[in-house]
Amino acid sequence: MDLEIRKRELVKEFSPMLKKSTKTSKIWIAFLIAIILVGVVAFIIQAVKGHEVTGMRDNVVWGIYIINFIFFVCLSYSGAFISGILHFFKTPWKNSVMRIVEIITVLSLIIGPIFILLCIGRLDRLHYLFLYPRIQSPITWDIIAILTDLIGCFIYLYLTFIPDFAILRDNSKKAPAWRQKLYKKLAIGYYDTPTQREKLHKITRTMSAMIIALAIIAYSVLAWIFSLTLQPGWNSSIFAPYFIVAGLYSGIGVIIIAMYLIRKFYHLEHYIRKIHFIGAGVILLVISLLFGYFTFSEYFSRWFSHKTHDVNLLNTLFNRYFWMFIFANYIGVIAPIIILFFKKFRTIKSITFAAVIAVLGLWFNRYLIIVPTLETPYLPIQDSRPEFIHYSATWIEWALSFAGVAAFILFFILIMRLVPIIPMSGIIDHEREQKRHPKNLTQNQK
Amino acid sequence: MKTTFYKYSVFALIVGLMINATSFAQETSADNYRMLFYFKTLKQADNSRTLEVSFIARNKKDRKDKVPVYDAEIKFYNVLNDEELLLGKSKTNNEGIAQITLPESQDYLIDEDGYINLKAYFEETDAIDEQEETLSVQNLRLELDLKEIDSVKTVLVNAFVLDSLGSKIAIEEADVIISVNGMISKMPIEEGTIEEGEFEFEMPTDIPGDVDGNFIVYAIIEDHDEYGNVIQEKSINWGVYNKQEVEESNTLWSEAAPIWMYIVLTILLVGVWANYAYTIKNLFKIKKEGKALEMNTENQ
Repeated sequence: MDLEIRKRELVKEFSPMLKKSTKTSKIWIAFLIAIILVGVVAFIIQAVKGHEVTGMRDNVVWGIYIINFIFFVCLSYSGAFISGILHFFKTPWKNSVMRIVEIITVLSLIIGPIFILLCIGRLDRLHYLFLYPRIQSPITWDIIAILTDLIGCFIYLYLTFIPDFAILRDNSKKAPAWRQKLYKKLAIGYYDTPTQREKLHKITRTMSAMIIALAIIAYSVLAWIFSLTLQPGWNSSIFAPYFIVAGLYSGIGVIIIAMYLIRKFYHLEHYIRKIHFIGAGVILLVISLLFGYFTFSEYFSRWFSHKTHDVNLLNTLFNRYFWMFIFANYIGVIAPIIILFFKKFRTIKSITFAAVIAVLGLWFNRYLIIVPTLETPYLPIQDSRPEFIHYSATWIEWALSFAGVAAFILFFILIMRLVPIIPMSGIIDHEREQKRHPKNLTQNQK
Repeated sequence: MKTTFYKYSVFALIVGLMINATSFAQETSADNYRMLFYFKTLKQADNSRTLEVSFIARNKKDRKDKVPVYDAEIKFYNVLNDEELLLGKSKTNNEGIAQITLPESQDYLIDEDGYINLKAYFEETDAIDEQEETLSVQNLRLELDLKEIDSVKTVLVNAFVLDSLGSKIAIEEADVIISVNGMISKMPIEEGTIEEGEFEFEMPTDIPGDVDGNFIVYAIIEDHDEYGNVIQEKSINWGVYNKQEVEESNTLWSEAAPIWMYIVLTILLVGVWANYAYTIKNLFKIKKEGKALEMNTENQ
């Protein structure tokens, strides 16, 4: 009986978040939709006129679309990885960040692959990839990996949502009829009975382990698309683990930023506390050290071996892309390390600032992996004009990129309207655990 | 990097000295270098003759430090007693090389022994002393004949000079190298000696040619005291076309993927999808239990 009361209390506590539609939020949503609409216009122009309207040419055939693709997909894989780890090892403070991570995972895995579709010049031939696949090609592996991972992440996200759907179904009598119906449908008759709970916990735990493995495999496959070529800057044996570390770096960064914004906007100071930021910040510190180490190893071996093509690439990086290189690989790594290393700097704002630097640095790191390499190709191309060699993104590409980011944020907001960002079932489970082992630390302890 | 920078600095310095050598510091630097002035001649396959000078400054203390002398005007002369006939002039390039090519029809002044006396000359500047180098060569004529004699692919080389009456005089002895054109440079096949103006050599039958089986045969005399450098060439259809062997080991690029790849991918995908199926099956069980509970509640 107490449990039912507690569930009702939680629904009451979180329902403003589900219904909240303030003037600011409306403006935000309208702004995001406007950005998406500009993106739609850009897409139509690109579809009608072709890739001529982008900055991509004979040499640089991949531009910021592929960078966004890698960025979002890496974000998703790292989200899946982190979420799997949090769940599998029953991390004490997982409840506050779990849903943020899960939503980031699924949304970025939906948004990311859209960018690769924008890279394809002849979208009308897309189905050929499925009709005539070459199992030897890393591109085919990536398609299989992304599709498998997307379905896996959807299932996993849904599993973690079921108990909350059930709570909302039972305690949303005042909600609109469509919402009640939706909760009933999605709750699939879950009543939190011991057998149901045991089954759900078992399959969620198995899925959490599965998506850790899936993330590692899919991540590696994505890296192999590059490293299995002979292109200078890509042909590297450490690219797969480097991608995994880089993905985790950006993933943790985006999670911290999302935690900060959600905490501020929905006033969730009670649930997302400083200890969560410090925990995430320490993980970001460890990953930034690893990322810095991998980045150094990658460039150091290229510089030391002094192969002609690698030297050309390094010359391009240290001349044309000097400041971007400095920002991506020095400031983007060292600044978060300095902020997070010293205890006195570890405030919520500074940790979030470090995360912003890390995420921006990593996006530029991706840019430096793709564009300069294509500008200094392994095989020379005949009749290559300077405007074909040097890439700069056009407004069409930027519009579509920002539309992707806007869609990500908009969907995030919409999902938060459907279920609370803090899992109510998690709170109940935690309290249940507390009753069983009262000496344990509470997640709200500072 | 530092060495390259240093070299180019000195290189610029020497160029500067050649233009304006009034500066004390520049004079001092140039004094540290010894000028190497090499002159050679090459008689080409079309009987034209190339005269070439290599003009390099070498550090007196560090013999490895060599700097090409750039933009130096070299005059080439044909000398006979006191008479000097200017053949042409050329400026050194950024490798310190100056070159002129004289056509087959060029009339040379020839001394009584049948030698062409050639001179390369660099006029003195304020910074660099005059340089002069002479050499004497006989106008050797090299003939290359490629014949199949009794089904044996044979290379025949004839070497002779012409006397004042135009009669052929076979040379006594000279080392010759028979080469064929390779992908990057000439590939030596045989080294031998021309005796009494003749050299004969049996060509191997397994030399790769181009797609039509053609290759070029060269007969080369190098740095001979009397004849200098002489080259003769001829194209012949004696080569074999070696079709490139298909690399079978890298099966990633073959028609079908290697079996291990199918096995690994199948295991991975079956493993993952079986887990999805297991999860969905359990969801249906949860749903079934939920329905049963709802039915019970309704009945009560």
